[in-house]
Amino acid sequence: MQSLRIMWRITLLNFRAQLEYRTEFLLMVAIGAIWQVSVIVFATVLLARFTGMGGWDSSEVLLIPATRMLAHALFVLFLGRVHGAGRQIQEGRIDTYLLRPMPVHRQLQLAFFPTNAIGDLTVAVGLMIGALSRSELDWTPGRIGYLIAAVIGGLFLEAALFTALASASLRFPAADYWSYWLEELLGTFGSYPLNVLPRAVGGFLTYGLPLAFVAYFPVAVLTGHGHDTGAPYWLAAASPLLGVLAYLGARWLWRWSLRHYSGING
Amino acid sequence: MDASIEVHGLSRTFHTTVRRPGFTGAVRSLVNPERVAKHAVTDITFDVAPGELLALLGPNGAGKSTTIKMLTGILTPTSGHARVAGVVPYEERERNARNIGAVFGQRTQLWWDLPVRESFAILRDIYEVPKAEHAARLKEFDDLLDLSSFWDTRVRHLSLGQRVRSDLAAALLHDPPVVFLDEPTIGMDVVVKEQVREFLRHQVTERGRTVLLTTHDMTEVERLAERVVLVNHGRLVLDGTLDEIRRKFGSTWQVRATLADAHTEVAPLPGIALLQRTGPQVVFGPDGPDAPTVHQALKAVIEHHEVTDIALDEADLEDVMRAAYVHVEEV
Repeated sequence: MQSLRIMWRITLLNFRAQLEYRTEFLLMVAIGAIWQVSVIVFATVLLARFTGMGGWDSSEVLLIPATRMLAHALFVLFLGRVHGAGRQIQEGRIDTYLLRPMPVHRQLQLAFFPTNAIGDLTVAVGLMIGALSRSELDWTPGRIGYLIAAVIGGLFLEAALFTALASASLRFPAADYWSYWLEELLGTFGSYPLNVLPRAVGGFLTYGLPLAFVAYFPVAVLTGHGHDTGAPYWLAAASPLLGVLAYLGARWLWRWSLRHYSGING
Repeated sequence: MDASIEVHGLSRTFHTTVRRPGFTGAVRSLVNPERVAKHAVTDITFDVAPGELLALLGPNGAGKSTTIKMLTGILTPTSGHARVAGVVPYEERERNARNIGAVFGQRTQLWWDLPVRESFAILRDIYEVPKAEHAARLKEFDDLLDLSSFWDTRVRHLSLGQRVRSDLAAALLHDPPVVFLDEPTIGMDVVVKEQVREFLRHQVTERGRTVLLTTHDMTEVERLAERVVLVNHGRLVLDGTLDEIRRKFGSTWQVRATLADAHTEVAPLPGIALLQRTGPQVVFGPDGPDAPTVHQALKAVIEHHEVTDIALDEADLEDVMRAAYVHVEEV
């Protein structure tokens, strides 16, 4: 309880600090939204020009970017400081975190308020409302629950990928650059039904880099395309759970890497 | 009494890749990297008693910061062991963090975007310091470090001196018995340096804190340290008082006296040589490895001779340490 109170207090103070620089604050909100422009363009083109994609109806396809975007925005808001952790590592801030009686990962997350998440979240919520309003699915409590689980699982899966890279950054600073590549990849391919891509690419984005588990698989299960993904149905359906398990694994890797941290600048 | 800081056989080895010269060398290093072990700290042993201020000295790259990082729980030693206030820092990092304060002169532990006072308030919550106790301690630190003149300023807008004073206060707000200071006054002007030294002296003498200090500022060492540990190439080469170091590396003092009687005979004193005599003017200097300190020599000269005037010349600590560094390099 005390930990939650401290986290809340630090978050509020950080948010207030961001608010004091009005222009900077607005610019950060705007960049959060503009960063997702490719998704907005994709959604607009999809609805205006196509009736469907890869055997999916366009209203079903729209649920993929909406789910991914919402998971991403929540990741940025709650756990996103792990993306770009290399900078905090290079600046020696990890050393400072190790001096305080608080978990290092938590301090990393509390380093600043992610103002850009407000922009991300605004776009994501708008997209999800649009996708749900166009959806012809029967939104039973079970489906709603699974969609919420999918968003949370997507959040954790994205967090797991960036936490794994942050763990590598503790030892190899150049690993941080991979996080920018990863973000680009998630943004570019996260909005499509992956069955439209060549089999090898789809396979890589499923078993190499588990992008398919963020939104494609859960939405496929929701929309009745779960048997056509090329992966076992149970695996696709278990996506939310796999996201949580991947995150737990990534946190274990983080703790192991921190125990072997050898510092910077001698 | 148990030591506040116990260090026994502490070593830390880093493994790095050898950089070969030239473009071909760089390609070879990429294809077939040669890994070497760099021994940053090797088999260091020392203790620090409660309420003692120990200066850990040595040239750049000697292993001072690595030693401090192991004692603060940032790094895990390759071998050996250490205890700080009864806790093994690298095994119980969070418990150790409650017992120590640390200032790294080149880095801040404050929140960059927040006013200093809000950083203090967050630290109060993290360390679970009662509000009244926090307020009283903050007042005490304000009196000593003049914090209130800038504590509503964001950390990113502070001068170096203001920032380090804030960091010092932040490191001590939870009342830790042990404090680590890694070059705390680096880059400061003389006025702020003196203010910080006064603060540190107060923390040791009045609050009984144990302090381990690294610095390249010999004035600081002279003003603050009772004992010095000298390290070089990761090894401990000397552990002693300032007087012992002076005796070993810089016994270049001279006592100049004017005798009341120009014809009186100057009797030999143990460890003190008569270097020069011109009528009543005599000059004494150290004699042999067991020579007394300049202050002991002064006392001995006054006790054994009737003098009308007396003056001291002493190599300053900077010269002594330079000689010590050169000596340990040769060894």
